[in-house]
Amino acid sequence: MNLMAEIIIQVIIAFLAGSLLLGLHRKIMARVQKRPGPPIVQHLIHSLKFFFKETAIPKTVSKVFYIGIVFILALIWIVGVIVGPVAHGSLLILFGVYAVYKIVEHNSGSSSGSPYGKLSCVRAVLSAATELPLFAAIVFVYLVTGTMNIGEIIVYQSVHGPLIFTVPLAALMFFMLIITKSPYSPFAITKDKVLISGFETEHFGFLRGFMNFSEAIAWYVMLWVFLTIFFGPLNAVGYLIGMIVITFITGFINATTPIFSPNHSVMTQITIGAICFFGTAIMIFTGVVA
Amino acid sequence: MLDYMIYILAFAVGSILGLLYSYKQHGEPFVADSKLNVLALVGAIVGWCLAFNAGNVVLSAIGFLLGGFVMGERPGYGRKETAIGLLLAVVLYFLLNLTV
Repeated sequence: MNLMAEIIIQVIIAFLAGSLLLGLHRKIMARVQKRPGPPIVQHLIHSLKFFFKETAIPKTVSKVFYIGIVFILALIWIVGVIVGPVAHGSLLILFGVYAVYKIVEHNSGSSSGSPYGKLSCVRAVLSAATELPLFAAIVFVYLVTGTMNIGEIIVYQSVHGPLIFTVPLAALMFFMLIITKSPYSPFAITKDKVLISGFETEHFGFLRGFMNFSEAIAWYVMLWVFLTIFFGPLNAVGYLIGMIVITFITGFINATTPIFSPNHSVMTQITIGAICFFGTAIMIFTGVVA
Repeated sequence: MLDYMIYILAFAVGSILGLLYSYKQHGEPFVADSKLNVLALVGAIVGWCLAFNAGNVVLSAIGFLLGGFVMGERPGYGRKETAIGLLLAVVLYFLLNLTV
């Protein structure tokens, strides 16, 4: 198939699947809390609705940044789709996508001129503790497989079995990232309700539509990468079941866990990351991992 | 991947149509335990069985549209119908694909 057509199809799939999974996430959280919850398709409807809403731009914003940042956000997650599901490219580029996402969170908050956005921007810097375990997980995957290329990691797993059984603690580190990025997460200090919607507070209309679009793609890409690098070669049904199961697990965790204060959030992430890091390092260097 | 995009699009469109239709039919406050709707039940069974077992992109897409229509009904409606439809579709899938 033509590469451009493949990219467009994969981005549409990522947006629709991501939106439906985020809708499912809300539904699960609601059912755990004994509420009826919105329909599963609600997140998708919200995202589409925002594109037709009036876009108001506050006077306090830094306009170029304020508008440009949402396009950069959408663009980096489209790059995520291209590097992951389309090209089966390098994990390092995906790590770069997460690093840029952190900068986007930061600038989105600071460009709005709102005190809520600015506080969220400061917390985005603190919550870099999320990305460090991700980098460590990628390094361990490299140490075991000898490659950063997703396609080659899939081939490695088809021969040696899924990496979740080889480096489970590295998978746990990656799973921490998934929990952190899931909606209403105990670690989502940048979107704490104390800050209204955090760095998204001052983005309205189609700008918010782009943010929802990116959120949906981000969720899909994150789950896709996790399933691909730790659960070996999967077919479409395997991905579907895996994504639904992870969404269920995060929904249950988030529905029953209050949000941490920023220092508790960072310390918890660093503690879990450190335990998993040293645990995996010991496993690799003592020869437990072949 | 085009077929998967068509399936997921059909499911999403079906869900949105189901939600709109359901709100037209039921304007009352949330009902925790709705009665089984025979028409929705038939839609769910036909839809999910087609979606999983048709082996044809167009028929499967119609199946996802129907399944999505019932599943996408407003909260409280279409749950039992969806559960029965999905269960029958999975059973039918194993019956058709299991080789002894």
